Amino acid sequence: MINISDLTVRVGQRSILSDINIEIEDGKWTCLVGPNGAGKTTLLKSLLGSMPYSGSITDSGVEVFRNHDRNVAFVPQHPQIPIGMSVSEYVMLGRSKRDGWGNESNQSRKLVADILKLTGLFGMQSQFVSLLSGGEMQRALIARALVQEPTLILLDEPTSALDLHHQIAVLNNIELLKERGVTIISTMHDITLAAMYAEKIVVMQEGKVLLHGTSDFVIHSPELKSAFENRINVYTLDSGRPVIVANKDLPNN
Amino acid sequence: MKKLKSKGDENVLAPIWNWKITAFSAALLFIVGILAISFGPVSLGFQDILRTLFGLPGGLTGQDRTLLLDLRLPRALLAALVGAALATSGAVYQTVFRNPLADPYLLGAAAGAGLGATIALTSAGADLRSLLPVFAFFGAISAVLVSFFISGKFFAEPNSLLLSGIAVGSFATAVQTYLQQRNSASLRPVYSWILGELTVANWEVVTWSSIYILIALIILFTVSKQLDGLMLTDEEAYSLGINPNKLRVIAVVAATLATATAVSASGLIGFVGIVVPHLVRGITHRVTNRGLLTIALVGASFLVLADLGARTLLSPAELPIGVITAFVGAPFFLVVLRKKRLVSQ
Repeated sequence: MINISDLTVRVGQRSILSDINIEIEDGKWTCLVGPNGAGKTTLLKSLLGSMPYSGSITDSGVEVFRNHDRNVAFVPQHPQIPIGMSVSEYVMLGRSKRDGWGNESNQSRKLVADILKLTGLFGMQSQFVSLLSGGEMQRALIARALVQEPTLILLDEPTSALDLHHQIAVLNNIELLKERGVTIISTMHDITLAAMYAEKIVVMQEGKVLLHGTSDFVIHSPELKSAFENRINVYTLDSGRPVIVANKDLPNN
Repeated sequence: MKKLKSKGDENVLAPIWNWKITAFSAALLFIVGILAISFGPVSLGFQDILRTLFGLPGGLTGQDRTLLLDLRLPRALLAALVGAALATSGAVYQTVFRNPLADPYLLGAAAGAGLGATIALTSAGADLRSLLPVFAFFGAISAVLVSFFISGKFFAEPNSLLLSGIAVGSFATAVQTYLQQRNSASLRPVYSWILGELTVANWEVVTWSSIYILIALIILFTVSKQLDGLMLTDEEAYSLGINPNKLRVIAVVAATLATATAVSASGLIGFVGIVVPHLVRGITHRVTNRGLLTIALVGASFLVLADLGARTLLSPAELPIGVITAFVGAPFFLVVLRKKRLVSQ
């Protein structure tokens, strides 16, 4: 259980997050949604423990700030792509914390091979990461997170740069993590996809949590529309799945 | 050395680093070293050299012994130290600044060290020669910090680091030249030092430069494995158990100390920091800093060979060693530049 209470993050004079109080359940997929600038990425970085904050974030009762005892994987929206590094070197970096930097156990080499197969990257291990396509790069990032065997994985917009086909492929790969009992927290632009995959949704606006709860509850809540300034409509398909569609025309008040 | 391949078993990846490569480069350095001290206007036999070095009976005597122990040996050792320092710090700068073209020279570190050293040499009266590395270090670290902050603050393009490094380097060189002209009395020592020469090598220079360079290299080898994390974003590095800012400071300070000492001991010798790391990475197909020790050993061999060329090509006259490294390095730099464009598109 991750417990966030009275979380506030300031950068200079500006308040990026203010008074956030939520609980995040273990082993579930929680999705942070909201317009650009709502503070989603900052919340992810705070959950990682690399960003100074006031208030408290505890993971299984332990404060997360600068706590390197946890094993948390982080998948950034804009990864730094090391020039000249091969896919196997890149994915193997995920083992560094477990094996100790600069060492790799035979077990790790086997695990990485398995995960490359699972993510469809096997056979590309000697290719340079800088030459991967957007979808392949995203899978390499997920593969690295998988070999890290984390208890919590934080993903910043894992699907934003991908076409629909690759979005589904990547989201299915993330579901593999959940099957292994990993807690997943991701930000996502596409609320329809968020509702399809995540069990919990947290809606953020201007550094605050507007509403949170099960995907079903959030999707059908009128406050969701107001978070997006009434520019979205929610429809329900025959299968019962909700679809969120942008509203081109501004609603008449 | 061939490209690393997985050995048969489909289900296990090849190791990230093959330590046989490191052992091979150590052996290479030994052989190159023996070659270098044997050749020259007076040729010395390999057997005689080995007997003398290991204190076995039947070694060299008289003038040949002096030639070996007091001239050629310290010179080869100094070349090896300087080569290792420049190659290692080049590789470390490339990792820390996430830029494959970063190099002690292009970052302005060397020019800054030159300015610091010139201040030491031209300071009235006092003999500050043994404090050269300290002055050079402060010159170099200031130049690196200024280049880094100018580029980070005002530009987003990665190559702007190199452009600001070149600007800072030119500025430092201009100030250095001004100081030189104002202090014409000490012009000669400064000038001969700038040319980049190992002719001054003696046991005293080898002793003080080896102290500073070995301290810097030991620090760099200690943190080298974690350095791979700096090729990722800070959040990813943090999630893998690294404190990126602390590591960056340690790495830059140590690499700059190595560069500054190399510059103090032998003047300005360019391109080693870019040629050697890329050569090693190109041959092994690995960018991991587990290869840092190999880069140091190959850098040492490279400069020992370059010095052998400097001593023998125009024998009995000497060619400045910087000429040889630039002759090999400049075309190589263009190749790396082109390859980088192809790889990063």
